[in-house]
Amino acid sequence: MSVLHRFGRWLAGPIPISVILALLIGACFMLIAGVDPLSGYAAMLNGSFGTGAGLANTLARAIPIIGIGIAIAVAFRAGVLNLGTEGQAGLGALAGGIVAIYVPGPALLIVPLAFIVAIAVGAAWGLIAAVLQNLLGVPILLSTLLLNYPARYFSSWLIRFHLDEPVSDLVASEQVRPEVQLSMLVPRDSGFAETLRNTFGATSPVTAVLTGVNWSLVILILVVLGAIFVNRRTRYGFESGLSGQNAEFVRYGGVKPGPLVLRTMALSGGLAGLFGFMLVIGAPNTRLIEGSFIQTNYAWTALLVTLLALYRPVGIVIAGVFFAAIMVGSDAMGRELGLSPQIAAVIQALVIILLAFRVALPRFRKRAAPVEDGPPFAQPEPLTDPHLAPSAAAVGSAAPAALPTESKESER
Amino acid sequence: MNFLDLFDQDLVASVLRSLIPILLAALGGMLAERVGIFNIGLEGMILVGAFAGVAASFFTHNWIVGTLVAMISGALFSLILGYGAVYRKGDPIVLAIAMNILAVGMTSFLIVAVFGVQGVFQDPGIDGIPVWRIPFLADIPWIGALFALTPLGYLALILVPVLWVVLFRTPLGLRLRGVGERPLAAATMGVKPQHYQLGAVIASGALAGLGGAQLALGNVVQFTENMSAGRGWIAVVAVMLARAHPVGVLGAALLFGFADAVGFRLQSFGLPQQLTDAGPYVLTLVVLILVSRRFRKSREAALA
Repeated sequence: MSVLHRFGRWLAGPIPISVILALLIGACFMLIAGVDPLSGYAAMLNGSFGTGAGLANTLARAIPIIGIGIAIAVAFRAGVLNLGTEGQAGLGALAGGIVAIYVPGPALLIVPLAFIVAIAVGAAWGLIAAVLQNLLGVPILLSTLLLNYPARYFSSWLIRFHLDEPVSDLVASEQVRPEVQLSMLVPRDSGFAETLRNTFGATSPVTAVLTGVNWSLVILILVVLGAIFVNRRTRYGFESGLSGQNAEFVRYGGVKPGPLVLRTMALSGGLAGLFGFMLVIGAPNTRLIEGSFIQTNYAWTALLVTLLALYRPVGIVIAGVFFAAIMVGSDAMGRELGLSPQIAAVIQALVIILLAFRVALPRFRKRAAPVEDGPPFAQPEPLTDPHLAPSAAAVGSAAPAALPTESKESER
Repeated sequence: MNFLDLFDQDLVASVLRSLIPILLAALGGMLAERVGIFNIGLEGMILVGAFAGVAASFFTHNWIVGTLVAMISGALFSLILGYGAVYRKGDPIVLAIAMNILAVGMTSFLIVAVFGVQGVFQDPGIDGIPVWRIPFLADIPWIGALFALTPLGYLALILVPVLWVVLFRTPLGLRLRGVGERPLAAATMGVKPQHYQLGAVIASGALAGLGGAQLALGNVVQFTENMSAGRGWIAVVAVMLARAHPVGVLGAALLFGFADAVGFRLQSFGLPQQLTDAGPYVLTLVVLILVSRRFRKSREAALA
């Protein structure tokens, strides 16, 4: 089958159609607000991709979303519903931030220590839920969710009453020392930045991205590659993928579910902690700010991204950039047209809802059945069965570690 | 101030205040649970109800219209879950998570678009739900607070026994439970499971919408961005703790109302608000842990 044909079929499939419909419904919301949707979306597109600064902003925003998305996907893949990344990332950020700001010492020691503390605290917060489920059978879905609230209020309390410095109007700690900060990929005042500006122009996308995105981008890339590697090549990745798909089968295969849940939640929470922490020490935001993590809504956006991407790392990267662009674009639109940037959440959530409705153009479904080399799109698939992934029929021939990950979300 | 000052007559009133929105939503969640649809979209449904109620009450200056609109909006909003989960076989958890986020986004967007304010919408034109004091009974010490509620307060409390009777003593209840437990058997009996499932989800949305009305027009007279603030999630936990039994749901909601009310009072003892705000969630978690032996049967499945 030709690539073009495949692409055409994908275009008529659920993901593009859901996105288009969500944008149309978003347009209705703009009409309610008395704004011409075309100019609204133009402002959105221009704000997120149109300028170098916008692009840099979109990428910077995408990093925590993708990172936390990977954290959620690690858990979902194993059939563990971790809704607690907000708390895990928030506490990781708090603990790592405290080390980075208040522990004296050379940056060479402090930075790794802060990273370790952030990851450990995030992992520990995630482990609470895993232990509660293993020992007492408390559903992880609920425990992770409820654990968000103490984490949120505790951070808020600690920052407001113990760490607040009167240096800024915000309720925020003092700043991370410059040598401890994660700098921009190319620091703005460096000679290389000057060269970039001279070669590409001060506002070109290349200059803007390299001087406007910090080193967490590199860490993100490593994590994404690591996730792909773990999923495909390691025993843990194999077991977790299988257990997300069929817990019963894995148990017959001799995998103990309890330790698997522990490892999964530690990994998931640790990753969330890592990406939460990088928001604190990554330029340009380098303070612990009360409520910053909740207001930006990274954890929930990441959850939507994970659902959209059906837990696959590459999909999460694409969906993460897309959702970050919607957020950044909505902010720009809000500034320009006086609207609430929350239109971003509306569009994002609608994409997921419409995807769950499995909207697609019907004519492509009918004819797909006799095709041998492609996935049988004609069959009604459960939402959790990736539309882009090899279908269940292809499993037998595929390498075992590359199995599609189907979650057991309805199980509790 | 004395520790015992925490527990005085006014506490009953404040417990009820915190309790009623949760109870309404949780009873709705219970109905959905009974037909086999796990409704974790209550949070969003409360929020939509709260916003629609305030908007309708503002434009008509009539709390009855506001309340009805809140109920209808909650029901309409729940159609997303009902249609998606029942007829499109979408995953209820995925749908509900997206609905909760949609509700926050939608209401925060509309509050700016419609009223031109950010965060909080407050206006003398919003007609709040009045408190109906029952003469004499309302003056009884301690339990008097039970007789000085909003109409929705009475409705919530009356619904507990009513839903118990409906669920366990009527053919309708038998069908609802049958659909949830043995959909195939129910279908063989000529019951259309999908109709009952959709109906129960719509009812849960309507009840959660009423919970939102009580929150935004009864407890206070304003709409605040994200004012459901986790109450929907507590309602979800209440449904699970109670194993979808009306009386249990009341008990679980009561527990939350108590934690909320005591937490609020502790602030006057100098405890920072941030810590007392966490109280209800911590307490809910603790209770979840204490009773979780009941979940042990489903543990095997949960340990996927």
